[in-house]
Amino acid sequence: MKKIFIACGLMLLGISLSFGQAKKPTLMVVPSDVWCNTNGYMMEFDDQGTKVKIPDYKKAIQENSDLLLVISAINGMMAERGFPLKNLESAMKTLSSNSAEDNMRASKESGSGVSESPIDALKKTAKADIIIQMTWTVNTTGPKKSISFNLQGLDSYTDKQIATAVGTGAPSFTAEIPVLLQEAVTAHIDNFAASLQTHFDDMFTNGREVILRIQKWDDFDGDLETEFDGKELGSIIEEWLAANTQNGRFSTTDITENMALFEQVRIPLYNAAGRASDARDFAKGLSKFLKDAPYSIPNKLVMKGLGRATIILGGK
Amino acid sequence: MKKIVNKASILTLVFLAFTFVSNAQINKKKKANKDTENWRYEIECVGIGKPGTKVIEVWSYSKKATIAINQAKKNAVHGIIFQGYASGGQGCTAQKPLASDPAVEQQKEEFFDNFFEDEGKFMKFVSTSGDATPEVMKVGKEYKIGVVVTVMSDNLRKDLEAAGIIKGLSSGF
Repeated sequence: MKKIFIACGLMLLGISLSFGQAKKPTLMVVPSDVWCNTNGYMMEFDDQGTKVKIPDYKKAIQENSDLLLVISAINGMMAERGFPLKNLESAMKTLSSNSAEDNMRASKESGSGVSESPIDALKKTAKADIIIQMTWTVNTTGPKKSISFNLQGLDSYTDKQIATAVGTGAPSFTAEIPVLLQEAVTAHIDNFAASLQTHFDDMFTNGREVILRIQKWDDFDGDLETEFDGKELGSIIEEWLAANTQNGRFSTTDITENMALFEQVRIPLYNAAGRASDARDFAKGLSKFLKDAPYSIPNKLVMKGLGRATIILGGK
Repeated sequence: MKKIVNKASILTLVFLAFTFVSNAQINKKKKANKDTENWRYEIECVGIGKPGTKVIEVWSYSKKATIAINQAKKNAVHGIIFQGYASGGQGCTAQKPLASDPAVEQQKEEFFDNFFEDEGKFMKFVSTSGDATPEVMKVGKEYKIGVVVTVMSDNLRKDLEAAGIIKGLSSGF
């Protein structure tokens, strides 16, 4: 009897814990394009006649010890605040080892390899829900050196800057660059954490901000201007959003017969069942609404992290 | 008999003088605490300390210099929680207060009354810095005293988070 009570108690605790927590975003510190360019960590390739430069994070991590020091200091200070970050170097190593394993893997029975579409391959990048973009420059005036430091918290889905800390440290005759960098991180991390906290407070009050896209397959015989009871499908989707978003908050950024883009969509942190929700979970509701009568539109739901979902009308 | 009366009078006088002095001391202390509650102090950053600490100079006011010096630690912790400070020299960046909601002081009045009582828990998070020689200025009938102190801001933040006074970065997730 006692064991049953304990088991029930543990189950209830588990349920309450899983229902009480919102989905935690992942964060990762990444050097900015400007820093990579200034320090010579760029890759250049030819994109149909146009020279394109992209940052070479692997080279930067392998060759620049100051970068490691700063990433390590920020990671440590954020972990100390109960918010451990994804480590860029580890994420890149995991990606390459997973890729090597996938290439070698074969079914024991049929010898078949692991299936991967071009989209799956494209999605294999080091990613996080919030990117902490970091830039520093060493200012030299005669024998004096100082560090200008800039930390930007960028939402990977809405492209908004949600946190920041920026400033220039005191000039020094004697201190070495690693010491000045450590000092810069110490001076700025509290402000960065405070602005991140403001963003989270806003999220808990007004809901998570996500992006929702509607597209259609070429072979779909309808579009967003198709009418149901005198209303266009695009307007029907907008009405559904107004009814299901937090306080009806969303913006229709673009809408044509083929696509619609909804930005600043504020979704509740928990769904009707009380479980933590994200863009995909929210879009599932719209997907089901469109699949059901009277619309009966088959559709495919694709997602990108916590904050972006796309519904493609006309089939899976 | 006369001797006994004389001795009794002297004792009474000594007792009265002692009571008067200690009352005056208590009143000055009370006034200093009132000044803290009314934000009558100034704090400025004087440098970047070790990670998890803030090195600040606190300017407190009192008619008695020793009271202002003793009040400096309390003012420093109060300032870090409720006021923050502006950026300055020595690479100092502006810092926001730990409590983002200014109303928290009234909402959690009982907690802060205990926290800031004389020799209270706030003492755990502050220490005088360097040789702790105060800068003394006479302003009208009062002294304005500057003392450099180090506040263990990370420990203070963790303590306030654990007590549910402020929210941690990961709370709610």
